[in-house]
Amino acid sequence: MSFTPKNLNVKYTFNVSRNRSKVWLISGFAVLISFLGFFFSWTNQSIGFPLRPGFDFTGGTQIILERKCDSECNKITTINISEAFNNAKFSNQETSQKLFDARIQFLDGYKSLLIRSPELSPSESKEVIESIEFVAGPLEDGGQSVESIGPTLGAKLLQTTLISLLVAFSCVAIYISIRFDRMFSLYALLALFHDVLIVCGVFSWLGIINEVEVNSLFAVALLTIAGYSVNDTVVVFDRIREINKQESRMNFKQKVDFAVSATLTRTLYTSGTTLLPLIALIFFGGTTLYWFAIALALGVVVGSWSSIALVPSLLTLRKEN
Amino acid sequence: MARQQGWFALLIALVISAFLLCINLPFQLGLDLRGGSQLTLEVQALNPNEQIKSEQLEAVQSVLDRRVNGLGVAESSLRTIGTNQLILELPGEQEPSKAARVLGKTALLEFRKQKINTKSEMQRLQRIRSQVNNIDLYKKASKDNKSELIENKKIGEQVNDLRVALGLANSSLNEHDQIDQIRQKVNSEIVELFEPSSLTGSDLVSAGRRQEQNLTSWEVTLAFNQDGGEKFASLTKSIAGSDRLLGIILDGESISEASVGEQFKVAGITGGSATISGNFTAESARELEVQLRGGSLPLPVSIVQVRTIGPTLGVDNIRRSLIAALLGLSLVAIFMVSFYRLAGFIAIFALSFYALFNIAIYALIPVTLTLPGVAGFVLSIGMAVDANVLIFERVKDELRRGNTLIRSIETGFSQAFSSIIDGHITTLISCISLFYLGTGFVKGFAATLGIGVFISLFTALSCTRVLLRFFMSYKSLRKTTNFLSENQLPKQLT
Repeated sequence: MSFTPKNLNVKYTFNVSRNRSKVWLISGFAVLISFLGFFFSWTNQSIGFPLRPGFDFTGGTQIILERKCDSECNKITTINISEAFNNAKFSNQETSQKLFDARIQFLDGYKSLLIRSPELSPSESKEVIESIEFVAGPLEDGGQSVESIGPTLGAKLLQTTLISLLVAFSCVAIYISIRFDRMFSLYALLALFHDVLIVCGVFSWLGIINEVEVNSLFAVALLTIAGYSVNDTVVVFDRIREINKQESRMNFKQKVDFAVSATLTRTLYTSGTTLLPLIALIFFGGTTLYWFAIALALGVVVGSWSSIALVPSLLTLRKEN
Repeated sequence: MARQQGWFALLIALVISAFLLCINLPFQLGLDLRGGSQLTLEVQALNPNEQIKSEQLEAVQSVLDRRVNGLGVAESSLRTIGTNQLILELPGEQEPSKAARVLGKTALLEFRKQKINTKSEMQRLQRIRSQVNNIDLYKKASKDNKSELIENKKIGEQVNDLRVALGLANSSLNEHDQIDQIRQKVNSEIVELFEPSSLTGSDLVSAGRRQEQNLTSWEVTLAFNQDGGEKFASLTKSIAGSDRLLGIILDGESISEASVGEQFKVAGITGGSATISGNFTAESARELEVQLRGGSLPLPVSIVQVRTIGPTLGVDNIRRSLIAALLGLSLVAIFMVSFYRLAGFIAIFALSFYALFNIAIYALIPVTLTLPGVAGFVLSIGMAVDANVLIFERVKDELRRGNTLIRSIETGFSQAFSSIIDGHITTLISCISLFYLGTGFVKGFAATLGIGVFISLFTALSCTRVLLRFFMSYKSLRKTTNFLSENQLPKQLT
């Protein structure tokens, strides 16, 4: 049984080796934009970090309150809330000082209220909620969430997340170099960094423009993106290895091109089917999962790009088998 | 054909048992889905350079465990994280401040007798203390009514008088802190008037509480072990009938000063039990009881993180993620049927089984479902579909090359095998490292995704196959056009 592209009717919808300079240009440009984002974010006085860190990395207290309103909530301003803080008699003098640095935000068209401040003790938070109830009340009974996190815990969280990220990467690299070869695992890692970098870059720009913060859920999203990226790439590798065994007449470049074409439909379909639940999550998952789902969706798109275009184009750098 | 039906029957049996599992076993929902409080406690070493030993962490955990049980919150859980942290979950609890108060206290209980010739000093301090308490009560009452303090000036004068009486220097502290300062000063001076004894909380066997006879306040009852009972008897005997008091001191703070009656002069208070009456409310008596019964903490703990999620917020989260999951699944279903026809239809079956098996495993292990966990599940659906797509693409390839249907299906499975294995293993590797190294909800996410990957391997390689073979045993379904549109077929077949 012969196994040639002609027989298979594979259309070279996308010829990697011929377009590789375009691929590199696009990827390089995206990475550059990401680095610019990190730079601007870092030099931005209110951020001072490559990505805008969420409160579970910096520490503090976040209170989310849902207001009880019939059809439309009466409009109150953040100034009303600040005044309520000033007038409130807190049993601890420090509470007012902490609230001085608090950030107040209205969500869902005045329906919910978000207050973020330096760390408050449970009893302090309770008093703060009571003082808000005075101006923004009545509040929905079960619709409150209070989260306090100490600064040391945030740093530790970041540290453990980074460690698990590195360990996961190296284990996957070892697996690929055993199953395929060392160059393959190097390229897969490169693609993975490329994907993670670009998603981080987009979020650093979002942090500058839209004040989007990264939290530990974002770290989880990055880990998933990394896993997905490798998973996607491995399927292409697998096809190359298979063709390598069956075809002796093609040169390596042709084999790579052929493998990409043969797996293209699969990659696009799979990305599509993974994106569908994510899109549902973006539109219906609520605020908690909104940016998480966006990060994942972005990662899926970038991950598909790197496994269809970037990794194969890097592979064609190699001349012989 | 009989063999195919045997496998099919096995699959049906699996599905039914998974279904029964889901119905009969309760799900463990995380706090973000059911509402409640989560406290992260950090154990502090006595010496900052010292590492907390695992025995020490265990000892702290067992004390906290007893205190938590005393709080009476249903289904509370306490577990250690890392080398020095404990996570306490209190489902349904909306006021973590109460738990925080009970958990953080060291609860070192001491019984001391008053030093000789300090009666007048004691009375003076007790008088100041009751004045301070009155001021506090008055302030609290006026704050609750949300009215202005009328006698603000008078309180200021009172506070000042008290400060002078205690010999405190003038300071720039605000009124609230001044009152605090006075209270601390009075307390430390009262504690100074007692001499330590060998009777401590470690001699306690149990603690309880009951309403006092006047029904307005509560008292805490104590029962000592034999040794403690003897110590208590000799301690009370030595001060019976005198004007010296018995001080009950908790964490360096005097909570009660009791006199011992003349009648105990001969043998002291025997029987190994005592009561502490210190104007307790039902609530504060219960807190003390819980702390005493749990024993004292070997190391101090501090609360580093508190999360409280309202119950309706939790329900809302469940509803939203359910909608997302169902909508995502149905979109995928439409996609699969329109691109893979009969095979896509079979894949939907396999995917539904996949979802069912997943949920059954969550109930069986059990996995605590959190919001990130649900996200992990939604995402793993994508991976499960991928395996099917890999197989069906191969089947299509084979059909395009002119192979027969049955043969194409078999070859498709065997050729997709290595890609599926590699893809799943790489994801599994990251899940495992995440699970072992991650904390809190990162773990939940890794767990659900990891389980999903495992089950996806099973459903793709066996369920899809068994179902496909079963359907192929019916001649009417064995048509190439059920898998591929006619114009994609090689010429010689059409």
